[in-house]
Amino acid sequence: MESLLTLVQLELYKIVTKPRSFIGFAAITAIVLLVQFALYIDGKTYWEFVTQSLEQTFTINGTIFNGNLVCFIILQMLLVQMPLMIALVTGDLISGESATGTIRLIATKPVSRAQILLAKYIAGAIYTVLIILWLGLIAYGLSLLIFGHGDLIVLKSDGMVILRDADVAWRFVAAFFVAFLSLMVVGTFSLMLSCFTDNSIGPIIITMAVIILFTIIGTFDIPIFDRIKPFLFTTHMIVWRNIFDNPIPKEQILQSVIILILHIAGFLGISFYHFTRKDIQN
Amino acid sequence: MKTPIITALLAISISASAQSPKQILAQVNEKFGKVNDYSANIHLQFDLPSIHLDPIDGKVFFKKPAKFRIKTKGIVFLPKQNPYYSLSALADTNSYTAVYTGEEKIGTVNAVILQVLPNGGENDLILGKFWIDKVNRVVLRSQLTTKSSGTILLDNSYGANSMIAYALPDQMTVTVDMAKFKVPKMISADINNKSTHTANESKKGTGVIKLSYSAYSINKKLPDSVFTEEVK
Repeated sequence: MESLLTLVQLELYKIVTKPRSFIGFAAITAIVLLVQFALYIDGKTYWEFVTQSLEQTFTINGTIFNGNLVCFIILQMLLVQMPLMIALVTGDLISGESATGTIRLIATKPVSRAQILLAKYIAGAIYTVLIILWLGLIAYGLSLLIFGHGDLIVLKSDGMVILRDADVAWRFVAAFFVAFLSLMVVGTFSLMLSCFTDNSIGPIIITMAVIILFTIIGTFDIPIFDRIKPFLFTTHMIVWRNIFDNPIPKEQILQSVIILILHIAGFLGISFYHFTRKDIQN
Repeated sequence: MKTPIITALLAISISASAQSPKQILAQVNEKFGKVNDYSANIHLQFDLPSIHLDPIDGKVFFKKPAKFRIKTKGIVFLPKQNPYYSLSALADTNSYTAVYTGEEKIGTVNAVILQVLPNGGENDLILGKFWIDKVNRVVLRSQLTTKSSGTILLDNSYGANSMIAYALPDQMTVTVDMAKFKVPKMISADINNKSTHTANESKKGTGVIKLSYSAYSINKKLPDSVFTEEVK
């Protein structure tokens, strides 16, 4: 247990010392600040375009443009892109060491390969948690600070759900938890790919390609794709959005969470199976 | 014993039918005319097609001639016109022509039906139809066809929390025609939602907003600032 803890600390040290680990934080900060700035300047005009058909019939009273709405818009934009930032780090965890040859050195230490992989996985998970917390802090915290509180209007393709301010905070916490699970699926997937190759570019590029492909399939309303969609992990990654529905489709969310956890377990199982039997030649 | 009651009822009935439509409307206005201002608690419920909006509580303020405001701490959808729009429109009996078109029962209450046609073309109201309580001379239902908001149906009920002496109901149900709210998937970013709409499905719907009033406070000289200040 103590050796595992030491290994995790070492892996975290490695992550921190790599400049690419900060690309995710920098990108999130830049995107969030840019979106907040744009919405602060022009947000009302953007929103009027959405609600103009309703305002022909009704007067809409209340603070429509508020921190909750801004955070929700940011999450919609970012949670599709964020897996790529995670893959930059987790796709490099094994293959990066294979490329430099240090994996052989680590494997000679008196720790099992399973412990090495587990330590890397835990370090990757901690990195993911930190990214999510950072996103929560600037997307939710800063948006509330700049734009203030208010009811959240959630747009759906066939309607609109308006959630009362007091009913929103816990939904964001739950959404961040589901986002963490989604990012862990991507992290575990790229870690699995990382076990199979000796260069870090391969797992990162493959992970990106798979996410883009699956997302494109998920976007189209074509009958043949409808049969495939339930089997794509990207379909379940965006289930965080359903937490903002009213009433909440609990069964659908639970089903997706279970599928995400099964994906994590499956990718992790393959990673352990392969890595503990791998013939390390570099 | 029965004879005086029947005689009284007959007298009321005769007097209702004997009065001209404008006289009836003037009696309705007389009650509401006693209200210079009021405030009350309000509970709003919404039933709007493709829009989910939870009920909310707030405060409502009115001041003559047509200042009206509902203050809530959340987002609400309200009809474009204030609920007393029709009564304000009826205040000047020379500005419209009123026609008696029959009688109908609204629930258990007998009502006289009057149609109102504004005289000037510049009026937002195109046609108004009013169901007026024969005994209490209050508007039970009104159907307004307006230039700006189409047709609006307003049902008033006068229960325990109402101020019937001032023609103030304790419940108003506003029914409006509205288009179903729809946004493109790319704007809503609602990728997972499978559309269930069919080509033949009507794009029109009916929205209902229920306003329940309680704890009326009448003619307490409301300051104008309540109609302009921000909700905290």
